[in-house]
Amino acid sequence: MNWFREILSVAISGLTARKIRTLLIMLGPVLGAAGIVAAVGLNESAKGDVRQTLERLGTNLIVASADGTFSGGEAPTLPEDAVDRAKNVSTVDRVAGITEIGSLTVLPSQGGRDFFRTIPVPVLTSDQNLLEVLDARMLHGRFINGADERNQFRSAVIGHDLASDYQYLPGEIRTIDVNGETYGVVGVIENVDLVPKLDTAVIIPKSSAEEDFDVEQKPTTLYVRATEGNVDSTADALPIAINLGGNEGVTVAVPSDLLEAQGAVDTTLRNILFLMGGLALLVGGVGIANVMSISVIQRSGEIGIRRALGHTKMTIAMQFVLEALFVGVLGGIAGVLAGVGVIYLVSSILGWIATLNIPLFLVAGGMALIVSVIAGLYPAWKAARLEPLETLRLG
Amino acid sequence: MASTGLQHSNPAGSRKAQLFQLRDVYRIYGEEPVAVHALDGVSLDIHAGDFMAIIGPSGSGKSTLLGLLGCLDLPSKGSIKVGPTEITDLDDGERSKLRGNSIGFVFQQFHLIPHLTALGNVATALLYRDLTKSEIHQRALEALSMVGLAERHDHRPVQMSGGEQQRVAIARAIVTEPLMILADEPTGALDTKTAKIVLDIFKNLQDENRAVVLVTHDLEIAEQMDRVVSMRDGKIIADDLRSERTDALEDRFWESASGSKLE
Repeated sequence: MNWFREILSVAISGLTARKIRTLLIMLGPVLGAAGIVAAVGLNESAKGDVRQTLERLGTNLIVASADGTFSGGEAPTLPEDAVDRAKNVSTVDRVAGITEIGSLTVLPSQGGRDFFRTIPVPVLTSDQNLLEVLDARMLHGRFINGADERNQFRSAVIGHDLASDYQYLPGEIRTIDVNGETYGVVGVIENVDLVPKLDTAVIIPKSSAEEDFDVEQKPTTLYVRATEGNVDSTADALPIAINLGGNEGVTVAVPSDLLEAQGAVDTTLRNILFLMGGLALLVGGVGIANVMSISVIQRSGEIGIRRALGHTKMTIAMQFVLEALFVGVLGGIAGVLAGVGVIYLVSSILGWIATLNIPLFLVAGGMALIVSVIAGLYPAWKAARLEPLETLRLG
Repeated sequence: MASTGLQHSNPAGSRKAQLFQLRDVYRIYGEEPVAVHALDGVSLDIHAGDFMAIIGPSGSGKSTLLGLLGCLDLPSKGSIKVGPTEITDLDDGERSKLRGNSIGFVFQQFHLIPHLTALGNVATALLYRDLTKSEIHQRALEALSMVGLAERHDHRPVQMSGGEQQRVAIARAIVTEPLMILADEPTGALDTKTAKIVLDIFKNLQDENRAVVLVTHDLEIAEQMDRVVSMRDGKIIADDLRSERTDALEDRFWESASGSKLE
């Protein structure tokens, strides 16, 4: 134990005696480990905000849309009782339907006709639990309720982007012109990430739509939340449950899949970046071997006197291996910290969510350590083989 | 006068313990026909308490002999015994241990480790011996006291004069209580006054019944040694005691350098 403690202290004193050179040797593992951590971490951080959105929205929303079979040449609709049919699937948690009403012109009715959108504004009716199913919230105001339906109020709820376009201010009493009928805007919905079309839509009560535009109450789209872990099986079952026969006529999509694909870390890119970091580490390793070899030549006098004092070849070799080990440990830690610093810096500049991969730290630090020790083996062998007679220059 | 027949003489007498024994030792570098015979059949005994100088011109084999006596090298042929142990039978680890325990080195250029203090340099000789930190500290400090440098134990070599550095090197050599001190031109880099101080320290070591072997070009130093071994062309050409010496050492030196006896 004494032997190891002593050799450890000799190695440390060897490193601390030549601080600049030690720092130069350490640059290799520092840059290598920092490269690996930063490259992979930045790649993951770039996807972090998408993944965070996914976590918030959940991945169990299924959208079932009519694809035309049920309604022939008309705008495609689902059966009138599609919501009830969907509820028959045991893995369905919540369902809300909407009916899109085509060919309606929407304009801000008061003093803002110049601001109409060039893109058609979707007008739709929906079940009152739509927001609950979508996990969406009102920005201000309220959603369509039972009173609106019962009394055929011309109430309208609009999407966030449409409110912005029409320059509606929160709490302001405003109306909206839907195909010549004036509807009072009772609320604005926050952005709905999973169903972006609602951001520019106008939602009106079913009863008013029927009265004003002679709309049939057949849903065009169902939003379904499946119970946990049953998204795929529910998506498979929904078309059958809704059309009570074959799969035709109902298209099913899971919107989070797209987001998930966007948010997924590109494995190939990640591997390439990892390899580049590894390459940097390898180059660092060559640097360590190089600088330490020069150091062995510079310290040949010290090695010679230690050998003359009775230190064995193995002790001398161990001293240099331990120096390399320390360089690896400290360089690895410093490299990981530097990599984390880069991730936070770049993420803060680019507005990403910094994502830290702790196991990667261990991998990068461990690689720095291994490369350093391997790089230290040759100089250690060289030091051990130095003949004291040659280094001490007797006579 | 030169006594070529005394190559393995025992001028110190048989009462003293024999520490080192060289018999018919050759050290040949390279292969024939370009081989260099650095030592050519040398035999020599060193006893406890010997206070000995090895003199001779450059290329006479002094350094090679010093390397072999210090177990830093192995002979091409012949036998070297330290006490009863034949060093050619030992592996590197065993030879290192023997060297660490039995021999203390002092060099012309001191060879102190620059980043260590005086105490650290002396303590280096005590590493890997299963001693506690405080034992090492204590013994290193005692060795520094013996050379009068205890108060400067925390100074680095660069903060010391040449004489002080050499005294630290001597403390490092004696801290392990070796059988023999091998000194290579120990006063070569020192002024006369400091050289005398260093030589006095060596004399004190002789009093402790250690062998002190100096390789030197300085005949004034050699004159003060009890025993002088003269070398030429890898051979010992004279080995005698001061009390028996009849010719001037200077003549001996020139004789060995020129290869012919002075008239």
